[in-house]
Amino acid sequence: MFRLSLKMTLARKGRLLLTSLAIILGTSFLAGTSIFSATINSTFDRLFTDIFRDVDAYVRSTNSVDTGFGEVRAPSPVSALEIILKVDGVSAAVGDMQSYARVIGKDGKPLGEDQGPPTFGGIASSSAAGLWIVESGRLPMGAKEMMLDRKTAEAGKFVIGDSVRVNALSGTREFSLVGIANYGDVSSPGGATFALFDQPTASEFLLKPGFVDAFLVQGDGTLSDEELAKAINSALLPSDKLETLTGAEITEETTSQIKKVLGFLTTFLTAFSFIALGIGCFVIYNVFSITAAQRQRESALLRAIGASRRQVTNSLIVEAVVVGLLGSILGFVVGIGLSQALSALLNAIGLEIPTSGLTINMSAIVSTVLIGTIITTLSAILPALRSGRVPPLAAMRETALDVVTRLTRRVIIGLIFLILGVIALVASVNGADVKILGVGVLAVFAGVLVLGPAISRPVAMLLGKPVSKIRGVTGTMSQQNAARNPKRTARTAAPVLIGVALVTSFTALAASIKGEIRESIGSSFRGDYALSVNSRGFGGIPISVTDKIDQLPEVATATGVGFIPAKVGDESPFVLVFNPKTAEGLYDLEMIDGRQSDLGKDEILLEQDKAIEKNLPIGSTVQVTLVDGRTLQLKVAGTYKDAYGNYAVSRELFEGTATPLFDSFIYISTVADVSDKNARKAISAISADLGVGTLESRDEYIDSQAAQVNQFLALIYGLLFLSVVIAIVGIIITLLLSVFERKHEIGLLRAVGMTRSQVRTMVRWESVITSLFGAVTGVVLGIVTGVVIVISLNESGISGFTLPITSTIFILIGSFIIGVLAAVFPAWRATRTNIISSIASN
Amino acid sequence: MNSTNIAARAESASKIYGSGENEVRALDNVSVSFERGKFSAIMGPSGSGKSTLMHCVAGLDALTSGKVFIGETDLSELSDKEITKLRREKVGFVFQSFNLIPTLNAYENITLPLSLGKKLGDEAWIKQVIDTISLNDRLNHRPSELSGGQQQRVAVARALATQPEIIFADEPTGNLDSKSGSDILKFMRRAVTDLKQTIVMVTHDAVSASYADHIVFLADGKIAGEMTQPTPDKVLDYLKHLGE
Repeated sequence: MFRLSLKMTLARKGRLLLTSLAIILGTSFLAGTSIFSATINSTFDRLFTDIFRDVDAYVRSTNSVDTGFGEVRAPSPVSALEIILKVDGVSAAVGDMQSYARVIGKDGKPLGEDQGPPTFGGIASSSAAGLWIVESGRLPMGAKEMMLDRKTAEAGKFVIGDSVRVNALSGTREFSLVGIANYGDVSSPGGATFALFDQPTASEFLLKPGFVDAFLVQGDGTLSDEELAKAINSALLPSDKLETLTGAEITEETTSQIKKVLGFLTTFLTAFSFIALGIGCFVIYNVFSITAAQRQRESALLRAIGASRRQVTNSLIVEAVVVGLLGSILGFVVGIGLSQALSALLNAIGLEIPTSGLTINMSAIVSTVLIGTIITTLSAILPALRSGRVPPLAAMRETALDVVTRLTRRVIIGLIFLILGVIALVASVNGADVKILGVGVLAVFAGVLVLGPAISRPVAMLLGKPVSKIRGVTGTMSQQNAARNPKRTARTAAPVLIGVALVTSFTALAASIKGEIRESIGSSFRGDYALSVNSRGFGGIPISVTDKIDQLPEVATATGVGFIPAKVGDESPFVLVFNPKTAEGLYDLEMIDGRQSDLGKDEILLEQDKAIEKNLPIGSTVQVTLVDGRTLQLKVAGTYKDAYGNYAVSRELFEGTATPLFDSFIYISTVADVSDKNARKAISAISADLGVGTLESRDEYIDSQAAQVNQFLALIYGLLFLSVVIAIVGIIITLLLSVFERKHEIGLLRAVGMTRSQVRTMVRWESVITSLFGAVTGVVLGIVTGVVIVISLNESGISGFTLPITSTIFILIGSFIIGVLAAVFPAWRATRTNIISSIASN
Repeated sequence: MNSTNIAARAESASKIYGSGENEVRALDNVSVSFERGKFSAIMGPSGSGKSTLMHCVAGLDALTSGKVFIGETDLSELSDKEITKLRREKVGFVFQSFNLIPTLNAYENITLPLSLGKKLGDEAWIKQVIDTISLNDRLNHRPSELSGGQQQRVAVARALATQPEIIFADEPTGNLDSKSGSDILKFMRRAVTDLKQTIVMVTHDAVSASYADHIVFLADGKIAGEMTQPTPDKVLDYLKHLGE
């Protein structure tokens, strides 16, 4: 029987191909995601192994703050270098720095992307422990010279002797390029840009005189790395607060930190690949259900000649396993291509992630094939059981293919899901946990999917009404065909439904967030212009520039806002840093209690909800530990409604510390009689000298801040695109099978005078009605979900729901087009129906 | 012969399937005409080519060589679209099974060829046809709600609805019990006698054939003989000779 099943499976190549297609698409995203993750992980593995290859020990400060987006560590005093060099077993040691420095191109624009690989400033040294190898020219010496990594030099078309402008903590300066260097054997690690100086210049320009980020140490080979680290540790002064790691440890730690950050991305991608797989499941299930129905006679014949129920069921399961294996293997192959497409997509929206080569783990292959095969087999179980139940007599009689089963049980189950979902949603609207919201959304989706077959008929009839009006009897048949098998229509439309619901709710969410951003910036930002950089947390506009702008005669006031990582109580957030002296009337925190202009250097402001959550009323104190290890007791001086972040401190707090202070944006108000042109000219003169930052009017700034949401939305759309493709393929497959199933009917229609173009019209409109059924239910579901999510996240800062009307119209038009596209091939096939063989063969 | 009296004819019609050793001559140089206003039958054993002849004359299938005419129209000169239009307007069909579109009700099935051509048709005529098949009370029913005999009556009504030049019926009673079968044959007879229609019926049943005015016998793809004014006994008798 097994061999027979196998033979029967392979004999139907068309069906095999169709079913495989669904599985290929479903599994390819999963494979693509895991290949992509593996590739970026191994890229970083290699990168850091390269970077720390010659490092035997790594000395750094013990003070750090981990914000969850990578660790920020305090600088180390240069004086420790002497101590390290004296340790027995140390052959060389050098200060290392990876601080913010941005090279300005010859066109006046900074090199590197705003959110691309980092732009670093570092130390070039002749020490054997240094990581940079001079390729041409010589090492920089003194405050006027610098060196560039080869890749950056090439990208900026800089040659030795050029003068290069670099923006860093202490502002923008001009240096003479004296050398070009390679990093080990690579031109630039990970696509980052590097501006290199001698140690004193680097410390003074990038960080703080007398300090470096860490020390790289090379042993003389007499001690193991562990012994060397131990020896250095015991020599270090306790007051310097330094620690020593082995080369292996620092490699491992850096790599795992990067991987942790990338983990968010891969989890996100995996979530979408499971959505695609879930949508694929519907298509697979649908194909098996239809083919099982179509081979009812074959199954009945097998039963009549003595096959047991189990054997008939098993034969379909065998088919599923074969198709599942085949489809998942092909899916994996397609996934390889898809992983490249993922890189391209992330690049296109500005999330540049370096990937080199292609890393394919055995485990990725195994898991893709396993998941694909299991899911296919599971999808086939119900149809297989159903075909096992076919009575042998069915072989002898004309079997009715359009079986309308009773829907009562389905309606009850669907309603139960729906009601439970609605209860959960209502609860979450009234402030229940976010998890409840998730459960509610899932239950509502499940309820709608279960109810699908019960509503598909009336909805398809309704949607088909205009078609029937416009297209006469051809349209009526499209309408009837879309409605004749409610289960099939519902299953075919389900992928469209899920895709459209997700797109709609994300669009609604994005529209609401945009509205919220506009309102929030609109109410906090009272000035005329904003100068901003898009690199929160790493570098930005040195605060000295802010003060320079403030001094301009055209400018009334300029105030900067920056962010700095710190430990506050038991959290490690980015703390908002502003200047209370200039912020008044320009950057309004929307205070609930207290005055932002009164904020002193020993005080902190809290977001209202945070203050309640952490039980920190006004007057209480909270412990704040800065990156440099300084621990402060700050007094809560007020609460505010809304800002970037839950904690705000005065920039005075950092005066005289080693903490580099940058502003992410500067708000500017001009004096009364200055023209727009003159104001821009004056401010640009300073920002152009800086080389970084975008100057925008208030309206432009609000627009561009709100538009940042579009980047996120574009990513979501990109990831959902594959689900849309699967939905289209699902419709194609169903239509092909339906056309095959109705060949008698089509043959008859052709015989009594239906033209080929009428046949095409008939199939096309059936497809459009099916697709629109999915889209309409999806839009309704998506908007409901969107509303609920927006309302329940209200506390987190999103208030008021914005209905994305234009997007909804676009989605509906898109679904219409999907219907038309999906019908092209099946409609063509339908016109090829042989009249004689479909009619005369009795 | 006066060609205006001929509803359809075949001239030296051959239909060959396969080639070389596998060659099958389903029709071998057949020339035949079907008179206007008459009920003709094509008889012959299985594999005699009777269905192929009907399919080719009706424009459902193309000949390998020879010509077929509906009225004065040479089908070999028409494109697929033109043949489709011709079938829709000038030819009616009744098949053994799969005659009706399951998603349309009886009335919609009857007027289907007219609707496909975006024509309203002659309402009085359609009413007369429906009266003749006496299915007035079932017009809103779907085919699945009709008996086999009722379905075939709807099919006959559909074939008549456009007042075609000629109606082809392929074993129209093949799937029916004898009562329903004779009902259908009586309707077809009346359509010819009272409504002045032209019908060509393919059958292997002598009783059915005896309803016709004229029988063409086919064997091995060739005309084996013709008979006018048949009775069941005459037909059976003839078939016996044919078999010898």
